[in-house]
Amino acid sequence: MVNLETRIGKLKLPNPILVASGTFGHAKEFEKFIDLKKLGGIVTKTITVKPRLGNPPVRIVETPSGMLNAIGLQNPGVEKFIEEKLPYLRKLKIPILVSIMGYRVEELVELTHRLEKSGGFDGYEVNLSCPNVSYGSSSGAVMFAHDASMIEAAISAVRKETKKTVVAKLGPDVSDIGKMAQAAERAGADAVSLINTFIAMAIDIETRKPVLANKTGGLSGPCIKPIAVRMVWEAAKKVKIPVIGIGGIMKTEDAVEFLIAGAAAVQIGTANFINPCASIEVLNGLGNFMKKNKIKNIRELIGSIKEN
Amino acid sequence: MFRQKCLVVKQELTAPGHFTLTLRSPRISKNARPGQFVQIQCAEDSCDPLLPRPFSFLTAGSSDFSVLYQIVGKGTELLARKKKGEEVWIVGPLGNGFSVSGSKNRLALLVGGGVGIPPLYHLAQELLKKKMNKKNIHVFLGARNKSLLLCEKDFDRLGVDLHLATDDGSKGRKGFITEPLEHFLAATGDSRQIYTCGPTPMLKAVSRLAARYKVPCEVSVEEPMACGFGACLGCAIEVKKGETKRFAIACCEGPVFNSKDIVW
Repeated sequence: MVNLETRIGKLKLPNPILVASGTFGHAKEFEKFIDLKKLGGIVTKTITVKPRLGNPPVRIVETPSGMLNAIGLQNPGVEKFIEEKLPYLRKLKIPILVSIMGYRVEELVELTHRLEKSGGFDGYEVNLSCPNVSYGSSSGAVMFAHDASMIEAAISAVRKETKKTVVAKLGPDVSDIGKMAQAAERAGADAVSLINTFIAMAIDIETRKPVLANKTGGLSGPCIKPIAVRMVWEAAKKVKIPVIGIGGIMKTEDAVEFLIAGAAAVQIGTANFINPCASIEVLNGLGNFMKKNKIKNIRELIGSIKEN
Repeated sequence: MFRQKCLVVKQELTAPGHFTLTLRSPRISKNARPGQFVQIQCAEDSCDPLLPRPFSFLTAGSSDFSVLYQIVGKGTELLARKKKGEEVWIVGPLGNGFSVSGSKNRLALLVGGGVGIPPLYHLAQELLKKKMNKKNIHVFLGARNKSLLLCEKDFDRLGVDLHLATDDGSKGRKGFITEPLEHFLAATGDSRQIYTCGPTPMLKAVSRLAARYKVPCEVSVEEPMACGFGACLGCAIEVKKGETKRFAIACCEGPVFNSKDIVW
């Protein structure tokens, strides 16, 4: 038997295979395809204080070995989430991280406050890096994930409201991911998860218009994997808290690569769209890989990169 | 909803640039309703293209189902290379489908254009199975030219009433299919139901006619999508209920909508 158990702060995960926010709905969408109870954990679709209609179409476009999305955080809002989505997630009895996003620190506080009252989940993933919504009230506002001091402000505000696990989801469009991860660590995050999608663009050369109604979107899929691996490797060297690796994982080998680079757990994202059974297949493959290579404990794999 | 590897039973050229692919899967087949669709993974390693491609059912029997598709890009090019005996990954059946229940005495008007025609053939077969009189089924097909009037012979074999239009006048009426449809709507007054699938401008025109003649109309839309089962929220379409507008998710709330609900 191989031991797949891993930890994110106080939170014990039965295995390191999680599913990424925005790629798994609120899990029910996948119940006909896989046994959800086998997952290491679920990160929900991001919720906001108020319901959001999302962006107008076109919302997605395929690019070589990847896709752009600009969904615009379509979600029912925190009240409906607690009422309609959380009871189902709670029944699965596996680690549940609720992804939350605010345009201002106060909104994150309000969300956390409301969710704390409800309970019935294990932690938060603070989405500091959605590329498809405008931030703040002034046009000069920037994404939390683009500024270390803003990451710190957002995470410490959430930290004050909860004893549950807090994960900071970082974006890739920064000059030094290590510094951003350190900012989250300083603010009391239990872990950082990276990377979110890259801000990217596709143009229709006939009409000369952006393909997406939002003009830009987030790039995901196998094309971003090598960059994601590099960023996880960089971040893992800079912080003591666990790093959760995300970015283009399609198969077991990809997940193993992230673990070796230093990720304590990984999230399967875009692959869920192409193969709704991808997460479980990666999990089964991971067990087989460990058996084949006589690795008894997943900890022997995490951060085992040989640099010379 | 299932995901499984399906055996290619047959692959045949049905019209210039159009193929019919028959696949084996009793459980997908038996559960398929007209207007529903499958997602087909066209590339073996699923990297190029990355996303599966959605196709509505042309037929669905007790063990096999088929889809009729046009080669429009890399995905469909790869799909056309699949030969009998090979296997492809399928997810389906997906979506809601057309409503087939209703009075047997109503007139069913099936209005299709281009690759929007196949699900209407599936629907016609299902309506006949539901004991609808073939005289009450009127099929309106539009295409650029006669060789692209998909399923024309198949509909003919069912014995349903066919109305044709081509852009170049090589078969049927020259012009859009909405012209013969309007004549028909003006000339008949019984209880009627329109079902339509095809290019968006056609759907829009058919919906307008349906509203003008106060005929209920079900529209099957196509939007760019990633997953096909409501996880990515990519295939948004604007719908309204009274004054309230929102984005519906075409793959699971649709692809068939009441034409009155769509913000055109």
